Amino acid sequence: MSTVPIIELKDVSKNFRSIQALDHVDFDLREGEVHALVGENGAGKSTMMRILAGIYTDYEGAYYLDGKQMRFNSPHEALAHGIGMIHQELSVIPELSLAENLFLGRQPTTRFGTIDWRRMYRDAEEELRRLGFELDARLPLEQYPLGTQQVVEVLRTIVSGARVLIMDEPTSALSPSEVGQLLALVDTLRQQQRSIIYISHFLEEVLHVADRITVLRNGRSVATLTRDEATLDRLIALMLGREVDRQAQPITTESEHEETILEVKDLTSDKFRDINFRVGKGEILGIYGAIGAGHFDVARALFGLYKLDRGTIILDGEPFPSNHSARYAIRRGLAYAIESRRKSLLLDQPIYQNITMPHLERIGRFVPQQSQELAAAAPTIAQVNVIPPDPHNPVGKLSGGNQQKVAIARWLTFPPRVFIMSEPTRGMDVGAKTEVLGLLRRFGEQGFGVIVVSSEPETILAVANRVIVMARGEIVGRMENKNLDKDALMRLI
Amino acid sequence: MNSVIKPRFSSFVDRFRGLQASSPWMRRFSMLAQVWTLIALFVFFSLASDSFSRPINLRNILTQVSTLAIFASGMTFVLLLGQIDLSIAAVAALSAMISAHLYSKLGYAEPIPSLAGIGAATFLGFVSGVASARFRIPTFMSTLAMSLIAGGLTTYISKGRVITKVSQLSMTLGSKRIGGPDGLPVIVIVAIVTLAVGYVILRYTRFGRYTYMTGANRSAARLAGVNTDRILVVVMTISGFCAGLAGIISMGRLHSAQPDATDSFLIDTIGAVVLGGTSLMGGRGGMPQTVIGLLIYGTLRNGLDNIPSIDIYLKEFITGTVLLVALLINTVFAGTAERDRTI
Repeated sequence: MSTVPIIELKDVSKNFRSIQALDHVDFDLREGEVHALVGENGAGKSTMMRILAGIYTDYEGAYYLDGKQMRFNSPHEALAHGIGMIHQELSVIPELSLAENLFLGRQPTTRFGTIDWRRMYRDAEEELRRLGFELDARLPLEQYPLGTQQVVEVLRTIVSGARVLIMDEPTSALSPSEVGQLLALVDTLRQQQRSIIYISHFLEEVLHVADRITVLRNGRSVATLTRDEATLDRLIALMLGREVDRQAQPITTESEHEETILEVKDLTSDKFRDINFRVGKGEILGIYGAIGAGHFDVARALFGLYKLDRGTIILDGEPFPSNHSARYAIRRGLAYAIESRRKSLLLDQPIYQNITMPHLERIGRFVPQQSQELAAAAPTIAQVNVIPPDPHNPVGKLSGGNQQKVAIARWLTFPPRVFIMSEPTRGMDVGAKTEVLGLLRRFGEQGFGVIVVSSEPETILAVANRVIVMARGEIVGRMENKNLDKDALMRLI
Repeated sequence: MNSVIKPRFSSFVDRFRGLQASSPWMRRFSMLAQVWTLIALFVFFSLASDSFSRPINLRNILTQVSTLAIFASGMTFVLLLGQIDLSIAAVAALSAMISAHLYSKLGYAEPIPSLAGIGAATFLGFVSGVASARFRIPTFMSTLAMSLIAGGLTTYISKGRVITKVSQLSMTLGSKRIGGPDGLPVIVIVAIVTLAVGYVILRYTRFGRYTYMTGANRSAARLAGVNTDRILVVVMTISGFCAGLAGIISMGRLHSAQPDATDSFLIDTIGAVVLGGTSLMGGRGGMPQTVIGLLIYGTLRNGLDNIPSIDIYLKEFITGTVLLVALLINTVFAGTAERDRTI
């Protein structure tokens, strides 16, 4: 590894209106180095990476490439200078063959101007072999597992001429064996003298793969450690900005809630395995995981909207039939508000109709009348304090927080036994967040079981009595939420 | 940097929308765009032709759109769900042919032939629905296939021939008039009843609400516990039933079962329903809109017949042009082309 920096950021700052996303940050990347960026959500990782990749063009400070000051106007221009970015969401085209994906937009042609298929397949397989993969380049990419698609995406960026690769959470959606494959690829690329900026939530992975690690906190670069200096505890301490108690929470403490409402045994599907937990009367259970951990799919499966391979759901001592419908779940007393309000609400329709949606069969029997619906909706609108409270207002006219309140209110007309909420506070301002979290706490006090599923540790820690942590489809930790800290959650994923 | 962005050019349409946003009166006016189109056409033809506005001709318009109205009742459900049924014309022909065949060739007495025809049509609608709901075949394809299936069966049963002996029941439905030769045609009553039943179902039942919900936002409907697959099957079955009924009625009106008698109804039906203001994307519209659409359609067709100076070879062309203009006016008035360009 050489010590010559390929890329250097000096004193770079970036503002989004009132938010200082990056605050006088210095950063450098050497040739043949894997340099990891870590930090909490909102620490400035994404912003920095977008500046490096030419996506954000409007920032203060200097950007040097090979010692020359640059300012890219587009990601395209950055790529032309050898800086390529691999996004979290793959941009491959699954229907096309592996080779076509690899050479998208720069397919080799014959002298007649048609595509030279034979050469394309040969070149593709050769490129793959150089990285240690024996694959058939003729098959459509969708026939390969996600890990391989990720590899192809990396390779495509290299074929496009990138010397510097920026990888954003490359392993978040991969299975453990595929993670191994990807980390091996990163090693190979390092040996080929390519430079990599590696961004990940998974600190173990970072410690394994990185030569140097830069920790960002609140838009500032707080430290750059070499691989030998870095330990898990040190990284977490730097990320959170304080020394953490080495003795974390005792793992595997089950709650002693006297009365179990919901019990889940061995839930297994393609996105998660062997999920067991119970929810007591008046208890708020938090399920935490990074994006792609499968916790949102567990919530869907409980409500009958994701196919289970096996497992039992027992509510009030009575088991659900296998692969029950959402209607059945509602009748038995489950309520579910998903992470996307756009998917769960009819934005053009008035508030009251959105609230009575799941309960039409219980309101006015055969013919739901507007007056009956209004009567059913009005108390719950008041209960969650929707502003403005006019039930005839279309939901699309409300603010995000108030839309979320409508999504909650619809389950209160007939109080549920267990309320499942995915990302209850996503995209809300502080005031709305506090209000929604207050509502959740009140449900606990009223004796519902509540399950809060989230990738934001703050949300979970604010309301949950007990926390389950999921990573890659499995439960990796259970703890009481007593003096629980973010680091305890983050240590586990 | 934060200076106000002013468009250099604002089109007539944009200016109109600005006006619309600022004035509630304007909004009310434009919500009724379809009604204004109907009135405009009506006034135009009344002035352009002496015979158009006579009561007897107005009754003719109603009679002419009655068969279409029965088709359109079913199609309204389908479009509200954001689906399409391309098989209605062929299914109607099959319904008529089965019924005529049972009656004239096999000697069954009414009501068996009519019920069998409508029953077969309903069943085919059900099959398209199941194919689409259970196996995720788009209705565009499943009903296209169903159209061929029904057309093929019609050809097989009829051997391509017209059956001219049809039952009294179907003739009563299709061409009898209540109260003498100038009375109200039964076919109009059947059409009104069909539309009214459709209206009640859509407006006042849970199933109707589920249809709107599913059409507007399928995932939201599912999250509310709606069995969206079942809604699709039922809606396609309703469409099949309406097509079957329309087939029998059309047979009674023509006094014969003809393999190709209903061919033109597919396009006319979709045209009339959309013209009324029901969205092809689902979730918006309803039976009242369909009634307006039918009347616009009927007025246009009949009105052109009543202006003798128009070259009959140009009629189709003029109909198409007026339809396109009417649709344009609808979208401009209704503001359906939105600002968000990702939609």
